[in-house]
Amino acid sequence: MGKFIELRNIRVQFPGVLALAGVSLDVGRGEVTALVGQNGAGKSTLVSVLAGLRREYHGDVLIGGERIELRTPRRARECGIALVEQELSLVPELSVAENIFLGRLPKGWIPGFYRRDLLNERAQATLETLAIDLPLGRPVRDLSPAQAQIVEIAKALSKTPKLLIFDEPTSSLTKPEADKLLLLIRRLRAEGTAILYVSHKLTEVLAIADFVAVLRDGRKVAMGPAGQWREEGLIQAIVGRDRSQVRHRSPNKLGEVVLSAKSLSVAGSSTSIDIDLRAGEIVGMAGLIGAGRTELAEALFGLRPARAGTIFVNGRKAKISSPRAALKEGIGLVPEDRRKHGIIAGLTTLRNISLATLPKYCKAQFVARSRERSTVASIARQVGLDVQKLPNLAETLSGGNKQKSIIAKMLLLSPAVLILDEPTRGIDVGAKAEIYELIGKLTEKGTAVLLISSEMTDLLGLCDRILVMREGRLVAEFDGQSANEESLMTAAALDVAPVLAA
Amino acid sequence: MTLSSYKTEDAIIGDLPAPGDRISWRIPFLVRSYGMFLALAGLIVAFAAASPFFATPANIINILNQVAVVGIVAIGMTFVILAAGIDLSVGSMLALTCLISAEVAVQGEPSTATMVLAFVAPVLVGAALGAFNGLFVATGLIAPFVVTLATLVAYRGLAVWYHVNPIYGMPDWYRFLGAARLFGIPYGVIAYVLIIGLASVTMNFTRFGREVYAVGGNEHASRASGINVARVRFSVYVISGLCVGFAALIFNGRTGAGQSYAGEGMELQAIAAVVIGGVSLFGGRGSVSDAVVGTLVMGVLFNGLVLLNVPSPIQNVIIGAILIGAVTLDGLFRRRGE
Repeated sequence: MGKFIELRNIRVQFPGVLALAGVSLDVGRGEVTALVGQNGAGKSTLVSVLAGLRREYHGDVLIGGERIELRTPRRARECGIALVEQELSLVPELSVAENIFLGRLPKGWIPGFYRRDLLNERAQATLETLAIDLPLGRPVRDLSPAQAQIVEIAKALSKTPKLLIFDEPTSSLTKPEADKLLLLIRRLRAEGTAILYVSHKLTEVLAIADFVAVLRDGRKVAMGPAGQWREEGLIQAIVGRDRSQVRHRSPNKLGEVVLSAKSLSVAGSSTSIDIDLRAGEIVGMAGLIGAGRTELAEALFGLRPARAGTIFVNGRKAKISSPRAALKEGIGLVPEDRRKHGIIAGLTTLRNISLATLPKYCKAQFVARSRERSTVASIARQVGLDVQKLPNLAETLSGGNKQKSIIAKMLLLSPAVLILDEPTRGIDVGAKAEIYELIGKLTEKGTAVLLISSEMTDLLGLCDRILVMREGRLVAEFDGQSANEESLMTAAALDVAPVLAA
Repeated sequence: MTLSSYKTEDAIIGDLPAPGDRISWRIPFLVRSYGMFLALAGLIVAFAAASPFFATPANIINILNQVAVVGIVAIGMTFVILAAGIDLSVGSMLALTCLISAEVAVQGEPSTATMVLAFVAPVLVGAALGAFNGLFVATGLIAPFVVTLATLVAYRGLAVWYHVNPIYGMPDWYRFLGAARLFGIPYGVIAYVLIIGLASVTMNFTRFGREVYAVGGNEHASRASGINVARVRFSVYVISGLCVGFAALIFNGRTGAGQSYAGEGMELQAIAAVVIGGVSLFGGRGSVSDAVVGTLVMGVLFNGLVLLNVPSPIQNVIIGAILIGAVTLDGLFRRRGE
């Protein structure tokens, strides 16, 4: 059917990192091109270039053989590119029709008013092209996630795009809903729309795509017709063949079970989970985004109420109703969302680090500042945080130093169990290595570590055991020595049954 | 994926100081740290030059005496605002505590018990009224603005219901905080200074002070650090009530009459003083001394403008303009800081 858009040698530079190191990609009319790769491989960056969300990029974008400049969302729209945003740029209080034409409502006779009849007519027409029936006047907040996703698609389609980009469109959908969406995409393809489909779910990708492109470390490492790929081969391409870089630690001496969760059930998931952590053990937790790993961590730490189940600490039943209770039981958390749960921007780094252990430095409610300072300084040295930075406000720290100060705060509690949720996300390579070294050292003191990470190489290099979560359930457990990226990826990303009967 | 999720990488980059940031920081740093203090000094110099009556010891003491009541209320308000709350009910609490205290003070022959009670009752009642606010705020179900807006109305209603007519005839022993002087300095001013000291020590040196900053700065991170957020939020409202109850003693002493409309509009004066001083309405940033400087700026302005015969409506316009200016600066600094 011919190419709609050609990307030639696209490069995007972030400070210290080359996010895209020269990627070329064609998307054809009436074809679904899938883009797969690990977290940080550059998928989202590439999508953001196409959607005009990135001002700074190098390389050429050609439409119909002509070189064009994207760089603003408006320009991308004019070129016929529409992005179906995941989870939802919709306004909950506005109706389906209003959301589809938000910002482009047909003007009425009286200034400031819009023509509801025209709007409904157009919205109806858009939904008809999708062959889907939605109540036009219903506020979006009353819709199911799948219906809301369809409104997103309708919104994108109402701009009559020539290229439609889906970024992880099924991550918030149930299986039947996802199947419906895939049918819809096929219909759009049949009508000649070019489609770029970004997803982690490989079964889904192989079911829907005509071509599959694999990104790794900002490069396109493979590209071919979907029929040519098999799942194993795709996984190998995604993780890379060179596994010599994975260095296994020597196994820890494991102690008694410190933390044990029995049939723990977290709000938002219907299944229950059993986990045991031993003293001195590093247990990794792999899985895709949305698999329920953060929810589990937050339940163990009391940030999120567990619906059912029991938690035992050192064999005793523990009631973890709040982070306070968790900290008292010796359970610490280095949270995924540093801004929200980790750092208090307006306090100094020193005060951030000492916050969880204030009673230790207090005499009759007064903070003994010299003791506080010396304790914090010594832990700062341990985690490799520059002592000079302690008096500065936490908001002035780099991402890596913020993370180090959060870890330092938790270490001061000498926790029996430390849960780290994506501790190296958005952190430069040097700090990353330091943080992993710290985690390794922790276990020498008998701390049990639960390490949630999307970086499989890191999990493999550190963990005694690796658990895999998918859709709120524990689906696999691997020995740290014998696991490999393929097996982890397979457990995390592949459904047992095919997504769609092709 | 939402638009914002594409920007996460930018946000991470935003953590790193960009080259050139440092230079643009250097100049406003002085202004940022001591801006209002410099403004206060400037005002004093300007008024002293403009009016011969301004820079006299008598007038200076007069200013301090005038700001003592709202100043003490503003100290309590500082605790609340630093914890990312707001207390709109302070004026109404002042009326209620004034009336209760006056009622005790005018009871016939004074015994030691009534004398003690006249001084202790308003403080305890203030604490109780604040505790009522604090209970509802601590649940986290109702916004502090709404809780204290409700009690602003309700406490005033209670005050009028309790004693619609003024209470006159307060004995001299009772009025000393508002009317008497020690070595020429009014007891109210001495009390204000003592409370400033107490509040500063609490905020700077105690565990509780730390926790107020933490909770106001980031409630979620505080909870994840094991701080009892509800207790901190509750406590700051009790402190606000305590301060109001104490201020009521000075207020009664000065006016000599317990009135149900006492303290009308005082919540706005107190909030204005705190915010002009540079305490962030978003919580977590600012200090007791900021609130004191803000209070003095307002006191000096009013006094100076009166001496210069500026009509009272214009005085209010000026105060309003300064308030907007202070909050705009706060917003600018916050944006810079992020």
